[in-house]
Amino acid sequence: MSPTRTSTRRGRLATATGLGLAATLVVSGCTGAQAPQGAEGAEGGGQGEGTMLFAGDAGSPTFTRNFNPYNSTNRKGAFHIYEPLTVLNTVDGESTPFLASSVEQVDAQTVVFTLREDATWTDGEPFTADDVTFTFDLLREHPALDLDGVWQRLESVEADGTQVTMRFAQPDVPATDIIGGTVIVPEHLWADVEDPVSFANEEPVGTGPFALGDFGPNQYTLVKNQEYWQADAVAADELVIPASNEQLDLVNNGYDWAYAFIEDVEGTWVSANEGNTYWFPPGGTISLLPNLTQAPFDDVDFRRGLSLALDREAVADAAASGYTDAAPQSGLILPGQQELLDEEVPDEGRVAQDADAALEAFAAAGYTQEGGQLVGPDGQQATIAITTANGYTDWLRGVQEVQRQLQALGIAVTIEQPQPAAYQQAVDNGDFQLAMGGFGGTGSFYRDMNQLLNSEFAEPVGTTAASNYQRFSDPEVDELLGRYQAAVDPAEQEELAGELQQVMYDQVPVIAMYYGGLWGLFSDAKFTGWPSEEDPYATPITYDSNVLLIDTNLERAGS
Amino acid sequence: MTTPTTLPDPGGSESERPAGAADSAPPDLPTSAPPRWRVVTRAAGTVWVNRKARLGLVVLAFFALLALLAPVLAPYSPTAGGFERSAGPSSAHLFGTTAAGEDVLSQVIYGSRISLLVGVVAGVLSTLVAVVVGLSWGYVRGPVAEVVNFVVNLFLVIPGLPLMIVIAAYLQNSGLGMIIFVVVLTGWAWGARVLRSQTQSLRGRDFVTAAQFSGERSWRIVFREILPNMTSIIASSFFGAATAAILAESGLSFLGLGDTTQVSWGTMLFWAQNSNALLTGQWVLLLAPGLCIALLATSLSLVNFGVDGLSNPRLREGSGR
Amino acid sequence: MRYFLSRLGLFALTAWAAITLNFLLPRLMPGSPADAAIARLAQNGPVDPATRAAIEAQLGVPTGGLLAQYWDYLGNVLTLDFGVSYTFFPASVASLVGSALPFTLVLVGLVTVAAFVIGTLIGVLAAWRRGSALDALPTLSGSFLAAFPYFWTALLLLFFLGYTFQLFPTSGAYSPYTTPGLNGPFLADAVAHAVLPAVTILLTSLGGWILGMRNAMIGTLGDDYVTFAEANGLRSRTVALRYAARNAILPNLTGFGLALGGVVGGSLLVERVFAYPGVGYLLFNAVTNQDFPLMQALFLMITLSVLVANFVVDTLYGILDPRTRR
Repeated sequence: MSPTRTSTRRGRLATATGLGLAATLVVSGCTGAQAPQGAEGAEGGGQGEGTMLFAGDAGSPTFTRNFNPYNSTNRKGAFHIYEPLTVLNTVDGESTPFLASSVEQVDAQTVVFTLREDATWTDGEPFTADDVTFTFDLLREHPALDLDGVWQRLESVEADGTQVTMRFAQPDVPATDIIGGTVIVPEHLWADVEDPVSFANEEPVGTGPFALGDFGPNQYTLVKNQEYWQADAVAADELVIPASNEQLDLVNNGYDWAYAFIEDVEGTWVSANEGNTYWFPPGGTISLLPNLTQAPFDDVDFRRGLSLALDREAVADAAASGYTDAAPQSGLILPGQQELLDEEVPDEGRVAQDADAALEAFAAAGYTQEGGQLVGPDGQQATIAITTANGYTDWLRGVQEVQRQLQALGIAVTIEQPQPAAYQQAVDNGDFQLAMGGFGGTGSFYRDMNQLLNSEFAEPVGTTAASNYQRFSDPEVDELLGRYQAAVDPAEQEELAGELQQVMYDQVPVIAMYYGGLWGLFSDAKFTGWPSEEDPYATPITYDSNVLLIDTNLERAGS
Repeated sequence: MTTPTTLPDPGGSESERPAGAADSAPPDLPTSAPPRWRVVTRAAGTVWVNRKARLGLVVLAFFALLALLAPVLAPYSPTAGGFERSAGPSSAHLFGTTAAGEDVLSQVIYGSRISLLVGVVAGVLSTLVAVVVGLSWGYVRGPVAEVVNFVVNLFLVIPGLPLMIVIAAYLQNSGLGMIIFVVVLTGWAWGARVLRSQTQSLRGRDFVTAAQFSGERSWRIVFREILPNMTSIIASSFFGAATAAILAESGLSFLGLGDTTQVSWGTMLFWAQNSNALLTGQWVLLLAPGLCIALLATSLSLVNFGVDGLSNPRLREGSGR
Repeated sequence: MRYFLSRLGLFALTAWAAITLNFLLPRLMPGSPADAAIARLAQNGPVDPATRAAIEAQLGVPTGGLLAQYWDYLGNVLTLDFGVSYTFFPASVASLVGSALPFTLVLVGLVTVAAFVIGTLIGVLAAWRRGSALDALPTLSGSFLAAFPYFWTALLLLFFLGYTFQLFPTSGAYSPYTTPGLNGPFLADAVAHAVLPAVTILLTSLGGWILGMRNAMIGTLGDDYVTFAEANGLRSRTVALRYAARNAILPNLTGFGLALGGVVGGSLLVERVFAYPGVGYLLFNAVTNQDFPLMQALFLMITLSVLVANFVVDTLYGILDPRTRR
């Protein structure tokens, strides 16, 4: 599958597909060898003025034609074609209206989306509220299409003119962004589809900035939708999307936008072409998940000891070659969620390595150092197995650093690396001691914490959990989460967020270590206005509706 | 990787010419039984005289020394990080450093240990299985032979590399033992088939018939009378299996299915690929481990040239036709 | 006749066992297809707890007991209907295999034949001119090249010929600017794309054929009938080709039969490195993604083709060399 790593953690993608094989070298097709991609085919393979060479979708090794926006196996180009009501920027949690012109949160259980009246489908039909109600009915009828689980939150969807009123099953303010993020499909075309679940939607008709151009197994193009309701905001005339974009191609072929972790980015990507830039913002927190159903991990003192024993900077450095930072124990993703920062959590939630304090915490848990070994109440050396997924090389590098640091305190550490599916199964079933895992990055601190800490997800060991793999369960926290979910007032939200940060900091339900990166590579040569640390209006992610924010924010260079 | 179907192993395809050719080129006949040590020295001499085999032995010895003396020869620990990342060759790091800041030369030196170990252990084990199955199978007749035939055929037709991947995935805690197990499991059938053919053709020989008449038990006939006549073929299938094992280990490790925390030439290539060594200019990181694998495997096939000469005097060097 | 009937019976039994094993193997792997899909999605960031249910519903992940699944599977095998792939949902297994198979058959098939022919000829030459440079050079370089790890040869070729000197396309089976079909531009383009993978396979498999043929031929060259023919004053070339080579080629033919059977399985690592859209790459995707339907179909195809090749070779041997029938 994709050579470009669409991953919050580096090295990941390679796995999915491919265990990292040739992730680097194997190269992109599509071009004759002689000419870098662009030079081929009439300046038209893709280097016209407004043509963008885009590594935002990857074949394995070729593309299958599937533009069903609700299939997880679809062509990611679908997200430039279809629009949702609103698009969430997960960096700061702000939503931008797209097919909705405005959103009104009536109360904690009701939201009204006012629809845009100037949007049309690319086949000329107007976009109406019927399309919205049809879409939500479609998802209700076919739970297999409901990847975000909107119907676990919704109770009813009613349209009146251009106003669509959504009622939630319970007070659920964060649901607004999830529901608003549902991409809308045209009723006049989808109503006749026999089985929408296995519908490959080969001729997509959307409302978005781009429409499908040519499609081939090695490459497809998206052409600008001239009738787009904000056509003026779209700078690119055409997106050329090759199936295979290995890193050597990325560097050699003059891509305009790519999503990939690349070693030594300054020496490779940046130095390859003038105007090449990059932005690697944090996309989630990579942490150690302690199995809270097992001793000694059920002991908060032991967990605190582990947390204090780690030099997070060193772990981050080993895992991501220094491209992302150590993460605070509070669970916040900084600087995006800076404003939620709770004053009472010391040092912005950062935990520094402190061997003495760690030993003190271990002692409180009954573990003391004897002859260089950390010995437990049973007189045996503390031994820990850390489970990580085979092929996730960034995690592995991080775990090896953790192993070194814990061994220095006298804890024996082994590393287990089952294949990704087996790793997932072990984590789902609670069959681990410490496991590597990520959390956060949804754009909503409530959702981040709810998925991580809500006891609703903490299935017994041996049963598949869909979240909260460490099996954290605390009625007080559940109650906090419930209030947060219902809170409309930003001040109240902020206060509850603060309390959850304290839970994270004091109870150490997981040991947060470092941020997983989102790997955006950009070129200013033809287009400017890419998201950046100074202007984080979107993430660099290429595989969801986030791309709409970027599509509509770019400008032609020199204009 | 080295499945017989895509890469006929040199030893294998040679000895695969069973009945017909073997009759015309009798292996060392058991007519007179010289003392064992003389057989061994004579065999060693035959191998050594062959120039290709001599070259192979020298290269093999070089790698064996490298593996044995690794702690002395390597400038650093192979897993010690902390040096400059992805540095080019320098006096401190002759082969440069990896993306994680480890010394490449030390890794190359230590890597020889795993490849040799896997080669020898997997080679011995799969040859052992092949010998036991192949010989019994060639000797017995009737339904038992059919059952064995069935099992061996099954192992031969199941695609090798995918089977390895599936097993590697199944035996999650991928260490060296897993790789050896996988290589043996997927590698023994070929040798068993070759040895069975030889046994079948030897079974009809006079000395076996004589032993049968004198009332010797079957297993004794198989392992005492027939086995010694196949020493060279067994040796040759050992070298073939060892070569296959070394290549298989590198392939599995390269795919990331081995224990990536261990330093072997295959995992070095995995990490080189993973950190895009060519893009960052780490030529040596990609070239050295691959070349070492190739040289080690070549040395084994070269030794095989000499071993072939044992069973077939016409393959000995210098003997004109 | 009885001999061939019993062969046939054994063939059928092996086929059944292989089919059954193909069913069991994927299921032995830890983790379900849904786990694989979730792990894949989790790489893209947080996965909502609701997603898992949707994925399971979407893929129609196998339900029912193992035995029920087995019956379904046997039915699928008989009707050659393997359903829908998980990895490439909702593409059917048949369409995926159908689009991958031609590339592998042509590339790997032609190269296997070429490697066999060239290797055997060189082997004959080497044995005939034994001890000369014509012998030493091919045998030494042959065994050296055969000792290269496939993927490494592929990587080197890719980098040097593909990137540094830009002589050949570096990936895929054809470029996006040609339309697959029997037209000139496409065929030329496809050939250009096949060069690097073909050279990789050729280089690494040639050695085996050379050595096999050379050794077998040296064996036959010393046989009585050859000596006899030479003594009768036949020209040495005639002797070498007419008599010695003809007899020596038998064992190499066995290997060739098996190699042809293996063509269908493609060359996984090579296809992977060159992103060549053949069966090997497909198989790799299937195995790493726990894609049961795709894996079953591919395993079945591969094992059956090896099995058939094996059967044919066995039968031929029975005809050519009656002694093996005992």
